[in-house]
Amino acid sequence: MKFRFWISALLLITIAAISGCRKHAEAPKPDPLFSAYDTEPDWTDAQKIIPLSYQQSQGKRIFYQQCVWCHADATPAGPSNRSNLRPVPPLLNDGATLNTESDAFMQNIITLGGSALGKSAMMPPYGKMLSTEEIRSVIAFTRAVAQPPYQPPGRPASQYSAK
Amino acid sequence: MPAEEMGKLTGRTRLIFAISSVVFLAVLAISPFKDFRREWKQYKRSYLRLAQTRPDTKKLLADYRRDIDQIWLPGMNVIDRCTTCHQGITQASLSDSAVPQPFRAHPPIPHNVRDWGCTVCHRGQGPATEVAEAHESTLAWEQPILPTRLIQASCGTCHYADLPQTPQLTKGRELLAELNCQGCHRLPGVERPAMLGPDLTNVGMKVSREWIYKWLKEPRTIVDKDGNVTVNGYETEEEPRMPKFRLTETELRGLSAYLSIQKAKSFVPYKIDAHLVAAWSKNPELASQGELRFRQMFCSTCHSLAVTRAGETKLIGGDIGPELTKVGSKVNTDWLVTWLRDPHGYLPHTKMPRYGWSDEDLYKVTQYITTKLTDSDLLTGVAQLGQPTEDEIQLGHRLFLEKGCASCHVIEGLNPQKDFGPDLSAIGGKNASELEFGAAKIPHNLVTYIQAKLQDPTSVNPAARMPQYNWNQADLDAITTALLSMKSAPPTSALQNLVVPRKEVAFRPTGAFAEVYERYKCYTCHKFNGYGGDLAPELTYEGSRAQRQWIVDFLKNPQTLRPTLVLRMPQFNMSDKDAATLADYMTMVLQHPAANPAAIDARQFTPAMAALGKQLYEVKYQCQSCHTIGGTGGYVGPNLNNAGGWLTPAWIEGWLRNPQDLVPDTIEPRRNFTEAEVNALTAYLMTLRQSIKPQKTATSAGSHAAAQGAGQ
Repeated sequence: MKFRFWISALLLITIAAISGCRKHAEAPKPDPLFSAYDTEPDWTDAQKIIPLSYQQSQGKRIFYQQCVWCHADATPAGPSNRSNLRPVPPLLNDGATLNTESDAFMQNIITLGGSALGKSAMMPPYGKMLSTEEIRSVIAFTRAVAQPPYQPPGRPASQYSAK
Repeated sequence: MPAEEMGKLTGRTRLIFAISSVVFLAVLAISPFKDFRREWKQYKRSYLRLAQTRPDTKKLLADYRRDIDQIWLPGMNVIDRCTTCHQGITQASLSDSAVPQPFRAHPPIPHNVRDWGCTVCHRGQGPATEVAEAHESTLAWEQPILPTRLIQASCGTCHYADLPQTPQLTKGRELLAELNCQGCHRLPGVERPAMLGPDLTNVGMKVSREWIYKWLKEPRTIVDKDGNVTVNGYETEEEPRMPKFRLTETELRGLSAYLSIQKAKSFVPYKIDAHLVAAWSKNPELASQGELRFRQMFCSTCHSLAVTRAGETKLIGGDIGPELTKVGSKVNTDWLVTWLRDPHGYLPHTKMPRYGWSDEDLYKVTQYITTKLTDSDLLTGVAQLGQPTEDEIQLGHRLFLEKGCASCHVIEGLNPQKDFGPDLSAIGGKNASELEFGAAKIPHNLVTYIQAKLQDPTSVNPAARMPQYNWNQADLDAITTALLSMKSAPPTSALQNLVVPRKEVAFRPTGAFAEVYERYKCYTCHKFNGYGGDLAPELTYEGSRAQRQWIVDFLKNPQTLRPTLVLRMPQFNMSDKDAATLADYMTMVLQHPAANPAAIDARQFTPAMAALGKQLYEVKYQCQSCHTIGGTGGYVGPNLNNAGGWLTPAWIEGWLRNPQDLVPDTIEPRRNFTEAEVNALTAYLMTLRQSIKPQKTATSAGSHAAAQGAGQ
């Protein structure tokens, strides 16, 4: 009789324990494509694909409409206008030049044009054509493709590696 | 039972009762413990921990909600509890990519999450409070969240009109139309044109049975082991419109037999006077002069040719018409002469314009095509098929209908099966259980199904009739996005009210203009009121932009305004009368409401204003970064050498004030010119003049050089 009692008690406890420790559903494995809105091949190494966030992907769209003509060596229409210009405009991915410029400076030169900031007047102002948000997204795209990679001031690099 | 035994039993019962009570309490205690451990509550707690580490802890904690949070929009069928875990979604301070998910802020988009919910765009199961149930497909819910790279599909479920922010969706929709998917499938918003593939009613007059056999076997597309797509042996980036069908030897023989006897229309070859031909044929330069004419007429704008430079062979030229590298070995010479002279007589719906040929040009160009654009090896490996037998013809006739050829190609008197392929107007909302995966070893959801089917139709259904296409990943994703956007009509009236319809774009001119417009097929490259191709500038407001005399001169002798363009307006050899008809219509009808050429008198411009304008152009605004004047300047905008002979002052002024007002998608940035600067710049530009009248020798040489340049 005692034996039967202990058995049933044990059984109850086991059931209770099992139901208490219900296994949690495993989180889905992160698929890199799930987190990228768009991608851009690294300009210096086409094999390396840079994943872009939503904001960067909007910047990419605007870059390839407005900026590519002078800030890249190849354009959707073929040859680039870059070699025609003096001073030669920096390439978009030219980290050595652009990484040292602050976001605020970039925002200003795109909004107001080169002449307003003491740079070449050949850079036209886009403040009446693009919204602040659109210009910000172009800067975000610039930062994403920069070579050497862009590191925002005051933050450890690791936070910005990939993603 | 004796009394003391009863007492004993009672004692033991008490013990059992006591122990089971304790156990029962313990079991009850498990429930709050389980509740405490629930997945969403864990996310709540880790959000609190994150909030403590942020500089704006106070605000984050003030907005924190302890319980399940949901967005409930009854009219739109939305009950989304996603914000239970995705708590930082509206916190601008959490937009940093260093913030771990699920707490990061949503990127700024035109729709506010509280007004729209999440599943309207991302899909997934809104009411679920567990990650797996909300994100993935389960037995009870078959619509997992969309991969972000295909998210533009959701924009397309309501925005039937194209959006600038969704290039991938727009490209996918264009691909569906371009590849003639509407030949077999019903697709919402893709209009079925009058002609999809070429009309084959008379194809037996044009090509040999052997050529048809080879074409059907390898419709110019070959994919090698490295995945390179080649057309007739040349690498290309364009997907040819004719896909590859999986045909057996017998089927190839049957179809080639059937097609080679299609000679329904009486065909009268155009004969050039034999005496003249005899005289011209003695000319040793015949083919090279034909080639020069071919280049001067800019056939390359629509047709590509393989060009070898530095050991590398590439296709150069447009893709509106077929690639022509080996066409001389394909078509019958009599057919070619007749076709070039009047394409619409053979195919009423062809995009090929009718050129104003002189017999001499026609003969020279034909000689060039039939002697130089040839390949004696084109049909190697194809056995002589001989006269078609009755059985082969019967088989071919049956196959032509069964394989779906008749869905894209017309043969007069043959009625194609209606709706040959499945209706795709609701494909984007299909559940996995409605799809046939066959033996394919892929995850069962809609996205994998669509991509597997597109890449290899037989992978999900060995008996698939759908032909084989070659996609690169970008095109595959674009077309998947477009298909996912097709979710039929929205289910609730509140959502139906949100639909942004596609713009009706029909442009149907009448009268003398319409006849010339049809003959030269202007709409193949130019848009009018939003209708037409996008290879060349939109002409909806051409009458406001260009001066009438310039239009006439340009039509007679088109010269590009943009030095870097490879594809240029063909030389139609247009008569004075046709050019005048087009120019009159444009100046009278194709006017922009805000730029009336009659409103501005060019005499108001003084030399002093022009001098100031030159100063502004060259120094203050440095327009030469994008525009060329004389020999120097940029290549981004059109050259302005002849701005004064080309543009109307009203257009220039309107353009300087706000370019996007006149051409919404132009890339010229809107500047902050004062009214005086606008007038001065206009005055300066109106002084720039350069003759574009044809100068016989100079033009020929120039065009030749240009054609050479175009090939680079």
